[in-house]
Amino acid sequence: MSADLTEFHAELRGVARAVLARRPPGEGAPGPDGLSWERLAETGWLGLEVPEALGGAGATLAEAAVVLHEMGRAPQSCAYLGGAVLGAGLLALLEPHAGRDELFAGLASGAIRPAVGLATGEGAPLGAAPFALERRGGHGVVHGEAGFVPDAVGADRLLLLARDGRSTVVVATSPGAAGLQVAPQPVVDETRSLGRITAAGVEVDAADLWPLAADPAGLVDRGALAVACDSLGLAEAMLEATVAYAGVRHQFDRPIGSFQAVQHACADMLVQVAVGRELVAAAVAGLAAGEPDAARTVSMAKAHVGAAAVDVVGKAMQLHGGIGYTWESGVHVYLKRAILNRSLFGSPGAHRRRVARRYLGERGAAPE
Amino acid sequence: MSVATPAELEAFRDSVRDWCRSHVPADWRTAQTGVGEDEHVAFQKDWFQELRQAGYAVPHWPAEWGGGLSVAEQIVLYQELAAHDAPRLVLAFVAIHHAASTLLAAGTDEQRARHLPAILEGEIWVQGFSEPEAGSDLASLRTTARRDGDHYVVNGQKLWSSGATHSDWCLLLARTDPGAPKRRGISYFLMDMRSAGVDVRPIRQATGEWHFAEIFLDDVAIPATQLVGTENDGWRVAQATLGAERGMTMLELAERLGHAGFRWLLDACCRPVAGGRPLDDPAVQERLAGFETEIQGLRALCRGLAERHETGAVGPADASIVKLYYSELLQRMTDFGAEVAGLPAQTELRKPASSGWESGAWVLDFIGSWEWTIPGGTSEIQRTIIAERGLGMPRGPER
Repeated sequence: MSADLTEFHAELRGVARAVLARRPPGEGAPGPDGLSWERLAETGWLGLEVPEALGGAGATLAEAAVVLHEMGRAPQSCAYLGGAVLGAGLLALLEPHAGRDELFAGLASGAIRPAVGLATGEGAPLGAAPFALERRGGHGVVHGEAGFVPDAVGADRLLLLARDGRSTVVVATSPGAAGLQVAPQPVVDETRSLGRITAAGVEVDAADLWPLAADPAGLVDRGALAVACDSLGLAEAMLEATVAYAGVRHQFDRPIGSFQAVQHACADMLVQVAVGRELVAAAVAGLAAGEPDAARTVSMAKAHVGAAAVDVVGKAMQLHGGIGYTWESGVHVYLKRAILNRSLFGSPGAHRRRVARRYLGERGAAPE
Repeated sequence: MSVATPAELEAFRDSVRDWCRSHVPADWRTAQTGVGEDEHVAFQKDWFQELRQAGYAVPHWPAEWGGGLSVAEQIVLYQELAAHDAPRLVLAFVAIHHAASTLLAAGTDEQRARHLPAILEGEIWVQGFSEPEAGSDLASLRTTARRDGDHYVVNGQKLWSSGATHSDWCLLLARTDPGAPKRRGISYFLMDMRSAGVDVRPIRQATGEWHFAEIFLDDVAIPATQLVGTENDGWRVAQATLGAERGMTMLELAERLGHAGFRWLLDACCRPVAGGRPLDDPAVQERLAGFETEIQGLRALCRGLAERHETGAVGPADASIVKLYYSELLQRMTDFGAEVAGLPAQTELRKPASSGWESGAWVLDFIGSWEWTIPGGTSEIQRTIIAERGLGMPRGPER
């Protein structure tokens, strides 16, 4: 990475940490109170991946990853993942046209909040389009459903990935359309907003069927990596909180951090975080640069960090003792988010199986 | 040190590949399995000279002493040596890493001029640190060195010294001030193993091999010129040189694990056992993918550590993180290798000498993995270092 870029990332990280550390008055613990879409627009993060000509910063996923990592360190509800990260990711895959440009510009300014109807680990296989388009003369009819869609509820525009014969097309629609339903799916983690989009014979004009210029399967990698960055942030923050707590909490007339059982658990947390950091960095660099084996590095990062974050945050709860189990401590917020992250955009097992496909390719498939 | 362009790096890779194709002995594994000690030593010394002539024996040394490859070039070299299943430099390990880094960081000009060229000629070194009553608590060592005119007189016993039976020189820690607090009364010496009063007795280890030895020291005279650093400053010298050094030794081992070890594991998963091929079991596929992921993480950690070593930015626990992670990953991988390879693997009674820690003789490799989790600071000691130095956690009760 160039020195300029390193400096830019450091600045972005510093600002993000400060913005995300601000909490509503009287609220000590992180939680669902959240960062509004308007506030996100003010930070400039919504336009990070929007081309400069359309009012954005013309940056890449590498910069969005910095923000995502910080959001994991201070988890609170906001529509950055579903609206900006997946939204900009999908728009970048489209053939340029007026509708796309209007959305890009609306995203950068915050005037429009999009959501993407894609498979995130339930129903349709990861990477498959969950909706089906039936063409009827000058218009189309859409059927299908996508569950656990990040930030679907409250979005102004819905971009649905639909099978169109042998290819995939993007259906641009809005929450009010006849036959379209967007229902919240409450989950244990209150910091994420997930929803189910159901299309039962939604009629769309041909002008709202947007052709793709690139394979949309990569969107799942983007989602998986975004969640991995978040999990890394969660783990890092909980390690720091645990080390700080173990330094001040005394039992048996000593700080508990001087006991080897506590020290060794923290050392293991640090090792997991250090390995996760390397895997995430490699995946971010690979996906941002569009390297041919990027999907593989993303799967490695998602599988490893997704699982490691649950271990690390779980240990944080354990080492905080009774106080860690209270609602007030907020450790549960991190743990719930880590557990959700582990499943969203593919389980560790699903991603490991994806990595393993190459072994079968190299060594021949099983004899029938 | 100039940074190679990607094209230059690829050209370097081609030249290493060509060299490997014409120099790695095709039958060395068979020849080195069940080989006698003398033959093994001769093979190691010959292989060292082959590598040296190509400029590959001490790539991590400064250019003026015969090294000078960048970290990126070293990684390429280690990748290709592993990919071509080249023998490893097992006997020269302490000489080219620990002895050299100590001499470069803390030795006198005379000491460097005497020993670094001799190491290139094949002198073998051993580490004389641990003792029967000083294992994890190394600073409580009892071997004494008493100044007597222009030399020191050393008495005591060293333990676990790997390769001592074949070594020419020893990196020795001995107590020079019995009255001082335990870390402040230790000095660091270079000891000629042919000195009168040095008696080496091999110890057989769990794998059945005889790599370790006890060294008995009975009124051994060491010239005062062989003191490294100042008297009573030996603990600091050892800490300063050995911790940072770890990064450079791990670079090779991580690439070996990634470019040979994993391939061996994949091979093991392709051999049919009890009617099926382990690779076709989705649970096995997942474990393999997990290991490959962890190896990627390890390699990136080692690369980062080696790069920070060059710029002097190594964190206080970085080396411990890498040592701990490698040791336990090696143990888990060799454990899995022994499991998937099943009963046929039990019949491999010997692993080839000169091979890596993952030789493909999985049962012995697994047993041998404790040679990583115990020596050089046990995994428990590494965790304590990581917690106290890396995370700044409060120190435990006075040690």
